[in-house]
Parts: sequence; structure tokens; C-alpha cells
Amino acid sequence: MKLFNRKIATVSIAAAAALSMVACSSSGGDAEGDDGYRVAYIARAQVDSFAAWLANEIKAEAENYPDITVEVFDGQADDEIENTMIENAIANNFDAIIIQANNGEAQRPYIEQSVAAGIVTITTNPRVEGIEGASSVDASPFDQGAVVAQYALDQVPEDAKVVVLNGPGGNFHSTERRKAWQEEFFDKRPDVEIVAEDIANWNKDEALRLMEDWVLAHPEIDAIISMNDNMAAGALEAVKNKPNFDGILAYGVDGTPEATLLIEKGLMTASTLQNAEELAELNLKTVHDLLTGVEDEVHVDIGNPLITSENVEEYLELYKSAGLID
Amino acid sequence: MLDKLKGLDKGQYSIFLILAVVILIASFLSENFMSPNNITNILRQVAVITILAYGAMTLIISGMIDLSAGSVMAFAGVVSVIVYKDTESMLWAILAGIVIGVICNLVNALLVATFRTPAFIVTLGMMMMARGAVLEITQGQNVLQLGDFVKLGQGSVGWMPLPTLFLIIITVVIWYLMSQTRYGRGLYAVGGNEEAARAAGIPVTRVKYQAFIVNGVLVGIAGVIFMARVNAGLPNAGVGYELQAITAPIIGGTSFSGGVGTTAGTLAGALIVGVLGNIMNLTGVGSYIQQIVMGLIIAVAVTYDVWSKRGKRKTVILKSTDDGPHGGTTRSPDGDTGAPPGNQLSQATTPR
Repeated sequence: MKLFNRKIATVSIAAAAALSMVACSSSGGDAEGDDGYRVAYIARAQVDSFAAWLANEIKAEAENYPDITVEVFDGQADDEIENTMIENAIANNFDAIIIQANNGEAQRPYIEQSVAAGIVTITTNPRVEGIEGASSVDASPFDQGAVVAQYALDQVPEDAKVVVLNGPGGNFHSTERRKAWQEEFFDKRPDVEIVAEDIANWNKDEALRLMEDWVLAHPEIDAIISMNDNMAAGALEAVKNKPNFDGILAYGVDGTPEATLLIEKGLMTASTLQNAEELAELNLKTVHDLLTGVEDEVHVDIGNPLITSENVEEYLELYKSAGLID
Repeated sequence: MLDKLKGLDKGQYSIFLILAVVILIASFLSENFMSPNNITNILRQVAVITILAYGAMTLIISGMIDLSAGSVMAFAGVVSVIVYKDTESMLWAILAGIVIGVICNLVNALLVATFRTPAFIVTLGMMMMARGAVLEITQGQNVLQLGDFVKLGQGSVGWMPLPTLFLIIITVVIWYLMSQTRYGRGLYAVGGNEEAARAAGIPVTRVKYQAFIVNGVLVGIAGVIFMARVNAGLPNAGVGYELQAITAPIIGGTSFSGGVGTTAGTLAGALIVGVLGNIMNLTGVGSYIQQIVMGLIIAVAVTYDVWSKRGKRKTVILKSTDDGPHGGTTRSPDGDTGAPPGNQLSQATTPR
């Protein structure tokens, strides 16, 4: 009995602590949102640097809308957690939910529930297609890949040997970008040989390890074609200070701060910017228009600017002003 | 000499035989495999995981586990990078990484050793806390522009990459700690049979604290090398590394039940994983197949561990009339008896 009482006491203290933390974190939002709209932003994963950047920009952009309060939730790159968060947001009567799906198909039924509950629902980065009543704000991954692939057409030398780095299997952004490279580059350049291709899960360290092995198996590699910048940067670490690979071409997507620094140094060739700032601006404008009745349904994409050595300064300034690089 | 050889456990040398066979097969599969560049490559690639694996080994031998190693590694590495950017001092940066590793592991030790909470649960909690902490301090963004810090992961002394040099030094230190000191003997004794160790006067709580502190130092160093190697402070680094770190000692003969394991076996286990990954990359085997192969190896290694222990238990029971009532001793296959001097503890015959 004594042990039981102690257990009850322990659980009560833990529960009280947890509840007080929740109360503290939500009280600010309630105070601001009493007369305004409450928006839940469900991020894919805070460990994903782009997702984290987007979440930060969403919070910052929300400051420009006094009638909107945004609460950010972390989906932790887990379908189950993300779905639970959508359910919670519906149950908590948010006025709008912006969902950055971890896996569009896994989240689809929950997004449909949100729409059915009469909540303004937006899917973003990536868009989940074909949900009646839901809006979307995205960057087209196919176009992102296509822009840089078209740029590479004239740069990659004849009979070049290239390696390809892919994102996680089944990932919409990775497969669409790879499809764009196939249609816009490989189909038009049959002389180019892919000597190695594998998945590095968007990770810099995995790409580094792959490239370290590939350069031994394939002493001639003319270009690194990567579905994101993080992997391209990892592959470039592997050929750093290796004279045989001086001048190797490297293409990525995302236009990350690291990629812009590499492009500035002439180590990376090009990337397409997926601008979190622009995505955030468009998301907040869209949700505001939908909540205030200016629009009923919106489907909109941000642009896909190409970053090369010729315009890299402009993007370096963008990141410097955001405090992401020195 | 023959008697000595007879006394050797099969598991003590079979892992090296397996490593030799893997290397032999790999050398036939790719002409590049045995090139000096590739050997250097493998040694550089396995450094971080092997250092983490030594930490995992010390905990598993003492009957515990660390599921937070990957997250703490990321936390320690990123803090190290930040400190370097602020101070431009390699020494402070390395110390900062180690301090973070030790602090996180002291929290683990407090809850596991003092409050007797299962290590699985405690380190699972630490895994989340450390990841949350590193994401909070970086706001999820990579820390860039590391300057000379990268030398810790990309530099070399002569032909030898610095991570490999660190690995060699750490291997020697860990081997010494595990096989030549009271610390090591305490780990084997506690992992072999905690109650018997306590009855024999071994300070079990202190031993557990020591195991976590050593693990913390190793995780911190691994974090520093990792970030220097990839030339960035990556808050999302090390996801799943705790499981990779556990794989190497298990393949190398460390028993999940505790009390058994060697530094050399862990090194061999890490090298087997490293060589297999390397040869599969060299020969163009896709990542899906690589996962199947690695999964199969882990399953076979653990099955072998369980199967061989069952065989041993039978053997020990039969031998009990010669060896006294306990029937056997906890053995550190590095050459030492796991039990502390004067305390021959039963391991194999004691149900746990």
C-alpha cells in the first residue's frame, strides 16, 4: 500500500509538472489569440534542417499578422506522431491547420478529417494532391530538379561519368527531382554514364561515406548529381584536396546556406533555391485570405530560382540577414 | 602453451577468422579493396562508430545499455563546434564535447545506478532530451564555417588519418581499462551477476557510474570527430548510431546478457561491418540490399551468442565437480578473469 501510494504520488507530481508546462506554453498563445485566429502549423520534423528553417520562418511571418496566432508542432518525421497531431489540432478547435506532411498518403485521411471538420486546411512542402476543400502552398520538386538539370545540360562534358545521390526511398521530393533529372538531362544526354547511384537519405555523412568509396571504384567522375544540397556537400567533402577531382561539377537542390558558400568558393556548381522565407510568406497570406473569406480555395507555388556563381552574392546576403551564416 | 590454447573460448578467435574471411572475399570482389587508399578509407570511416561501440561495449558488459549515444553524440559535437567558433581553441572545443558527453551520462548513471531505473528507459529519455537540446540551441540549422576545426576529422599524421590515430589510442586505453584494471574487472563482475558482485564487496553503484562516465567521454570524442569529418555541426547527426554502436560489440562476441566481451572483439566487429559496407559500395550493391545484409549479420551474431551460451551452460554444469560449486568464472576474454581478485564469481550457472 505504501509503495502504491508512493507510485500515485510520483505519477501525480509528474503529471502536474507536465500540465503546468503545457499551461505555461499555451497561455501566451491564448492571451494573444482571444480575439484572433488560432493556426496550428504541423512541421514534418525539426531535425530536418529545411523543415526547421520553414518552421522558424512561419513563426516569424506570423508576427506580421496581429489577428493570427501560430502554434508549431513537431511531427518528428513519424507518420503516427504527425497524424496524432492533426487529430489533436482538430479536437482543439484550431481555426486553421497547415500541414507539412511527412508522407502525404499516410496523412491524407487525417487531412480529410480536418477539412470535414470545417477547419481551414493547407498542405505545404509537399502538397497533398486531390483533397477537395483543402488548399496548398508548395514548391514543385519536379521543377526544382528540372531547373538545375537544364542548366547542367550544357556544362557536363561529353561522355561524362556521373554519380547520383538520392533522398529516402519513396520520398515525394526525392522521386520528383530524380524524375526531372531523368527527363530533362539523362534522356537528352545518352552519352552521360551513371557509374554509381544510391540513397543517402538526405544526409551529409552518408553521402560522404558513399563518395569516399565511389572515388576508389571509379577514378573518373565528372559530376555529382544530388537530390539535395546536404548530400552534394557531403560528397564534395570526400573529394576535397584530391587533385584528380579538381573542377568536379556538383549539382544540388534547396539552395541551403552551405550550398551558397560552396558555390561562392567555386566548389559547387548550382542549386535551386527552395526559399523557406517565401514559402512562409505565402502560407501566412493564404491562411489569412482563407480565414477572412477573401478566398475559398488556393493552390499556389513559390518560384524556383537557380543559384550559380553569377548570382550567389544575392543569396549569401539573404542568409547573412537571416543570421544563418557569418 | 597447448593448455593455454585449449583454454581459449572459440568465440575469442572465431571473430577474427570471420574478419579474415570477409577481407579475403572482399579482396577478390574488388581490385581496389586492398589498395592503401581504401584501407585508409575504411579505417577513417569506422573510427566514429568504433569509438561509440567501445562505450556501448562497456555498458553492455556491465549489464546496461545506452540508447542515447547517437543523440548525445550530436549534442556534444555541435556544442564542441560552437565552442570552437567562439574560442578558436581546439582544446576547449574537445573538452566541451567531452563535458557534454559526461554530463548526459552522469544523468543516465544517476537514474540507473542510484534510482535503479532500467537503463533502457533512462537512456531512451536521454535520447529525446539530448536531441531536443541540440535542436533548441541550433534551431534545427546546421552550424557552418568551421575553419581549422575540420582538421580533427580530415587531417592526418603522415598517411594516417587523425580519426584513425584517435581510434588507435582509444583502443589501447580501453583495452588496458577493461583487462588490466579493477575498473574492468568490476564491469565484468557486475554484468556477470550483480547480486553476487555486491555480495563479494564490489561497489556496484560506483562501477555503473564509472561505466557511464567512460561512455560519456567516448561519445563526446566521437561527436567532435564526426562534426569535424563532415565539416558542419549537424543537429540531426547520429540518428540510429546507437544501434550501429551496439551492433559492433554484439558481432564481436559481447553478450547481451552482460559479463562477457572484449575490446578486440568489438574492434573486429566494427571492422567487419565497415568492410562489408565498403565492399558493397565498391561493388555497387544498393542500400536496400545493404540493410538486408547488415540485419542478417546482427540476427546471426545474436543467435550465435544465445546458442553458444546455452552450450556453455551445459558444459559448466558438467564441470562443476572440478571447479567447485559455482562451476565457472566470469571471464574477460582479453585474458583476465572477470571477477575481482579473490572473488571467483559464477556467471554461466546462475540464471538471470
